[in-house]
Amino acid sequence: MNDFGLLFNTVFSTGLFNEMLRRATPVAIAAIGGALTQHAGIMNIGMDGMILMGAFFGVLGSSIFGSAWAGLGLAVLVGVLVGLFFGLFVVKFKSDEFIIGTALNTFAVGLTSFLSRSIFGTQGAKGYPSLPNVTIPGFDKVPVLGAILNGHSLFVYLTWLLVLLFYLYIYRTPQGFWLRASGEKPQTLRTAGIAPERMKWTASILCGVLCCIAGAHLSLGYLNGTFAEKMSNSRGYIAFACVIFAASNPAKAYLAALMFGFFDAIGLRLQAYISSDLTSIIPYAITIIMMTYVVVSTRKKREKIHRRADI
Amino acid sequence: MNEKQNGFFANLAEKLNLRYIGSLVLSVLLAFLICAVILAVAGYDPIATYGAMWNGAFDSLRHVGDFLEYAMVLCICGLACVLGARVGIFNVGGEGQLLLGAIFACQIGIWLQGTTAWIVIPLAAVGAMVAGGLYAFIPGWLKVKQKVDEVITTIMMNSIAAFLCQYLAKGPWKNANKNMVAATARLNADYWFGNLIPRSNLTTAIIAAAIIAFAVWYVMQKTATGYEMRITGSNPRFAFFSGLKTDKIVILGMVVSGMMCGLVGMFRVYGVEHLYRASISNDYYFEGLTVAMIAQYNPVTTIYLSLFFAVLKIGAQGIELIGVPSQIYLIMQTVIIFFMAAEKGISESIQKSLQARRAKQAAIARMKGGVSHE
Repeated sequence: MNDFGLLFNTVFSTGLFNEMLRRATPVAIAAIGGALTQHAGIMNIGMDGMILMGAFFGVLGSSIFGSAWAGLGLAVLVGVLVGLFFGLFVVKFKSDEFIIGTALNTFAVGLTSFLSRSIFGTQGAKGYPSLPNVTIPGFDKVPVLGAILNGHSLFVYLTWLLVLLFYLYIYRTPQGFWLRASGEKPQTLRTAGIAPERMKWTASILCGVLCCIAGAHLSLGYLNGTFAEKMSNSRGYIAFACVIFAASNPAKAYLAALMFGFFDAIGLRLQAYISSDLTSIIPYAITIIMMTYVVVSTRKKREKIHRRADI
Repeated sequence: MNEKQNGFFANLAEKLNLRYIGSLVLSVLLAFLICAVILAVAGYDPIATYGAMWNGAFDSLRHVGDFLEYAMVLCICGLACVLGARVGIFNVGGEGQLLLGAIFACQIGIWLQGTTAWIVIPLAAVGAMVAGGLYAFIPGWLKVKQKVDEVITTIMMNSIAAFLCQYLAKGPWKNANKNMVAATARLNADYWFGNLIPRSNLTTAIIAAAIIAFAVWYVMQKTATGYEMRITGSNPRFAFFSGLKTDKIVILGMVVSGMMCGLVGMFRVYGVEHLYRASISNDYYFEGLTVAMIAQYNPVTTIYLSLFFAVLKIGAQGIELIGVPSQIYLIMQTVIIFFMAAEKGISESIQKSLQARRAKQAAIARMKGGVSHE
């Protein structure tokens, strides 16, 4: 009992929630982008590759210009290009989204590993200028909240802004309405005089930018200027799962990402007791379980409504 | 006579699917061109690199054996993907199934040490198939019964399998040698597949692989089961209302796909590595999946293309010798997919712009004509 109490205390400390925020952020930013493409009716499996590109070009920019801001800028630029590239195939050429997404992921692994080895050597990139951590003076004195919320990398806070911004964009502006219509009722939107392709292009470019920002945060903020091959570690897929849980609502997607971060952080804390290989399984297993739960429960809800309608 | 000949050529063209071959050749050429540009930009000599690639694959019999072995891996993985795609389920989880198949096959060989190879190898094959098949059954069941998208579940399960195998290889099933991190014990040499080309990776496993490939092709193209599988994939509603048990067919397709992936894992262990470690597979299933996509899920094309991509892959290992990162191979492969997937869209938009230009020219000509008449 005492042992368990000790375990409980070490696992569930403020550090856990601090870690949760830290680990959720890259997934959350990408999930906002995924929510946009999902609303536009594009199944975007390629987010993992987009994150990887952002991570690499962020570090590359940081190493070339000696500033993390330049790295972030380069990542955003690459994000626009990747979004255009994705849009070109998916929207313009109407290719299979699944094939293009999978290919984009492999392409990103190939391109970033190739360039990383040519530029930084086989060791990868380490210790380049990173994005600043935000410490609000005096805030760390606040009990509990201070320890959880203070001193994170910049994008942990900016993500809140992004969530709010894109929530308003999707649900409160005419463009957001068109965006949703372009996925759900493209013909109706066309009749209303707006080309659904235009909204699909917008969504894929914004998704490219957001995923690359997520990547840049991963390499420049989360890991302080480090690039390693395949460092996205299936985060893009987890972000995709978050989008599905959240029914493409960015605010809910953020919560889903927090939950992923929570289990990831628990895994990290349990490493003192269990092999790290086993604890690393937790977030992936949770993703499958949550995905199944959400799909099954929404179907049951729908069936219930149908049954009521029958009566 | 002439008509007959025309008919013959039309038939031949149809059989060979000239449009597909044409766009494939064009895509491959463009991929080489684009990669040459990337290589040049990164500061390497493209011609020397491609030369080294050719040498890397064909300079010795050993390398020929290596690429034949890799072609076998790609081919079985690709066919596993084709099988799933044909019944309408994407098995993206082959990597996990492969790893689990490999580690269980390996461990069976270690548990049964001392038993004759005639017992161990069939049991190991069965073990690999059971591991891979069961692991594929989970996402298959979730997809069919609960309508959970298989792409995400299988990808998550890849990561889970990779961590699980790493745990097993580092922990309970660890090699006694302390210097071997994350590797299981080595198999007894009696159980190794015989080498067909000395010092290469090519082993007798390729015979088993050829039989599997033939069986898949035969079942898919020539039997009633294959026909049922195909209509389930292409038109599930029609299949369902024709009285087929589509749920069962989809799950079965997924399980067989997983079994094939598990067997590839076993071939890698008993043929090449002789123990389990992470180098059993480095996203090999994903490369097989890519090949299947480029082949547009056609089993025969998958077999041919595996050979081509295996040559590229083994050749790419050769370019490491002159200091060029071999990952250029992945770029080349994906550029080919991009072009192949967009082939229809690209040709349509070219036609559209040509039509627009023609219409414009016609309009201008008409206007000019009209003016001169007046």
